[in-house]
Amino acid sequence: MAFLEQHIHDAPTSFWSKYIFSFDHKVIGKQFLWFGIFWLGVGGLMAMMIRWTLAYPGVPFPLIGGLMFPHSGGVVPPDTYAMLFTMHGTIMIFFAITPILIGAFGNFCIPLMIGARDMIFPTLNMLSFWFSMLSGLVLLFSLTLPMGAAAGGWTSYPTLSTNIGQPGAGQTMWLVSLFLFGVSSTMGAVNYITTVITLRAPGMDYFKMPLTIWGIWLTAILNAIFVPVLGAGLLLLTFDRVFGTTFFLAGAAATSGKGDPVLFQHVFWIFGHPEVYILILPAWGITSDLLAFFSRKPAFGYKMTALSLTAITVLSTVVYGHHMYTTQMSPLLTQSFMTLTMLISIPSAIFFANWLGTLWKGSIRFHSPMLFSLGVVFVFGLGGLTGLYLASTSIDLYLHDTYFVVGHFHYTMAASVLLGGFAGTYFWMPKMFGRMMDERLAKIHFWATFIPLNGVFTGMMVLGYAGMHRRLYNPFIYEFLQKLMPINKFVTYCAIAMGVAQLFFLWNFFKTIFGKNIPQASANPWEVGTLEWTIPSPAPHYNFDEIPHVKCGPHEMGNPNLKTGRDYQYQTEELVKS
Amino acid sequence: MDISIPHRLIGLVAQGSELVVKASEQMSLWERMQPPVDISTSGHLIHWLFNYTTYVNLFWFALVCIGLFGFSFLYWEKRHKKALYTHGNEKKHLMITAFIGLGVFLSVDLVITKVTTRDMKEVFWNFPVNDPELVKVQVLGQQWAWNFRYAGVDGEFNTADDVVQLNKLVVPVNKKVMIQMTAKDVIHAFYIPNARIKADAIPGRFSKLWFDTTKTGNYEIACAEMCGNHHYLMKAQLTVLNQEDFDRWVKESQQIAIATNDTENMDLRWGWKWESR
Repeated sequence: MAFLEQHIHDAPTSFWSKYIFSFDHKVIGKQFLWFGIFWLGVGGLMAMMIRWTLAYPGVPFPLIGGLMFPHSGGVVPPDTYAMLFTMHGTIMIFFAITPILIGAFGNFCIPLMIGARDMIFPTLNMLSFWFSMLSGLVLLFSLTLPMGAAAGGWTSYPTLSTNIGQPGAGQTMWLVSLFLFGVSSTMGAVNYITTVITLRAPGMDYFKMPLTIWGIWLTAILNAIFVPVLGAGLLLLTFDRVFGTTFFLAGAAATSGKGDPVLFQHVFWIFGHPEVYILILPAWGITSDLLAFFSRKPAFGYKMTALSLTAITVLSTVVYGHHMYTTQMSPLLTQSFMTLTMLISIPSAIFFANWLGTLWKGSIRFHSPMLFSLGVVFVFGLGGLTGLYLASTSIDLYLHDTYFVVGHFHYTMAASVLLGGFAGTYFWMPKMFGRMMDERLAKIHFWATFIPLNGVFTGMMVLGYAGMHRRLYNPFIYEFLQKLMPINKFVTYCAIAMGVAQLFFLWNFFKTIFGKNIPQASANPWEVGTLEWTIPSPAPHYNFDEIPHVKCGPHEMGNPNLKTGRDYQYQTEELVKS
Repeated sequence: MDISIPHRLIGLVAQGSELVVKASEQMSLWERMQPPVDISTSGHLIHWLFNYTTYVNLFWFALVCIGLFGFSFLYWEKRHKKALYTHGNEKKHLMITAFIGLGVFLSVDLVITKVTTRDMKEVFWNFPVNDPELVKVQVLGQQWAWNFRYAGVDGEFNTADDVVQLNKLVVPVNKKVMIQMTAKDVIHAFYIPNARIKADAIPGRFSKLWFDTTKTGNYEIACAEMCGNHHYLMKAQLTVLNQEDFDRWVKESQQIAIATNDTENMDLRWGWKWESR
């Protein structure tokens, strides 16, 4: 593979060029990580308020309620409630998951794992982070507006999100913020795609790349194609709000001309459904690699897994209509979307079989990254299978917009992605910061997260099956939902437990980075053979003194012919044959 | 966040939650998990498919769990020191994987797609437009209420004698009811949990659905699509009467409509000519 010459410049010396406006992919990756963890906290706190309101309607939010909602005696008011779930969705998807899984791991892992010294466009990379920052600030600022931030749901369907339903500036700020975010994502995506294509070290064929890179690369392709579609929708909606156009206005609301609110849904979900896979693909990639690393054997059916991920990527672009069954598209369209959606189960079944095949007859080491990866297999199993109910048009008549949907998409997008993100963080921590995280705290963190997590999201599906619909400030004004009070309380308790469990992570994370007397990690603490582990920890300036030459696959472990005393071999070594 | 809300509202909410606890103290968890009573003739189709999906899901998820927990137990480093060196790309491995993929396709995709298609075609999309006894109702969703319109004595919609109701839908038992709907301001979704049915009411568009009831009584209608801060208050009542009571109700309401409808008030004329498709 042809590769571009990668020059080594001097390391930056000033604080600003080293930590703030850095061109270094590793620093940018860490910036995204901090950014993501901050927003994860904000979004998590919002989730607590939402859950509290559903379990204790009319009861003041404990501790900080009085401070935050003084006009209602500490109770979350209905308008704030709408704002909270809108912001929770927006923040978690765009400002927590995307920066951590794509921004942090994408930036950090791509050059290190393909044997490059940096991303191909370092300036674009830096800009990508600062555009994210800008968009985050706009969103944060919108929370302080007198009429509040956007409150029309994270999907912001018009006409609710036009001036009819959202007269305040919050919704416009939301649009501006997401547009900026889209710019940032697109810049990142272009950079990732090009880097993987052009900067792979000599010998690093596509089918020798770690599956993490496969996941991130496919994500970047989806991002580059579909984020601009969202951008178009956001722009049109902004025009409707600011310049008085009527792209999405109809009915009594449209004083002139006639648009169609459903048009926005099409535009939104053309982006929105691939977005689900944009979020999950990196986590799948990380999981596929880690399962092999900690089972001490090559990934089972590596090529099939990579191809299944690709097949899912392609299919994900043509299934978006299953979000819109209740808008009553033509039966032909509805049927086609249902059939295509169902097809996703085949490649999913294949890589699930391969994941289990990887564990089969391994020699499994239950370190914390492995525990989290096994967790991904479990929760994505549940999340994927429950999607089958919702793909069916007739079941969807009953379950659409109920908590069943909420439980399902949290299993796929929140639970699996979160666990995958933690797996990655624990795994690459030594390479990022040169220190190992506390393994005991990490294991406590896993169990304290995993058990309540299932309580929360299974509980939600039970609520949905019993008929509870979404986005209700107080579900119990409906008689048929009143019996669900105890289940709602249970879900809330689990959510609080899961929230508290994250303190173990935060403590561990900060202690490792800033604590004193933390031993330095060795170059290869997990004993794996991908390229990032051939260099010291933390990864040095410009990563590789010599661009490595790749000679074997990423998971060459347990080879009986190895005579080196190790059970793994580096990708730079010739595959040992008998 | 300094928008005040009426304290009265919060009082109501708190009061409501006290009532809740009393009403359902005696229920078992299993009873709580059940959907509301099914009053429709089509709901069992949804439940059959739901249950079928649950059984195949349990089967496949059990396999995942056996692999996940079984292999984790058997091949723990301390029990199984030497990993088997295989890339899983031999013919037999590919066969197993392909077999699993095929199994999923046959047991899940094929059945669900087929049954759904059949149910949609024969029932949910098969609108009873030619049923001579069809009860026709027009629905307008608005922030935050449901308006219902019956054709009145002349059988024509959007005329001065229409019976117009706020948050109250009355239908006869065992008769097919067809609803055409739209929305005034933002998108709403017309949701009758007891009939297992739902459709969006969208400004500038007509949506339609039909259902058929089997039990008399009072049930709830909800808005399922986020439609603003008071989305949760957008609740209406569905009253299913036996034929006699319904006929009496129709007669009375028609008389009231003729006597009280203000023919000058154009706000009452939100209806439209019934779409016969």
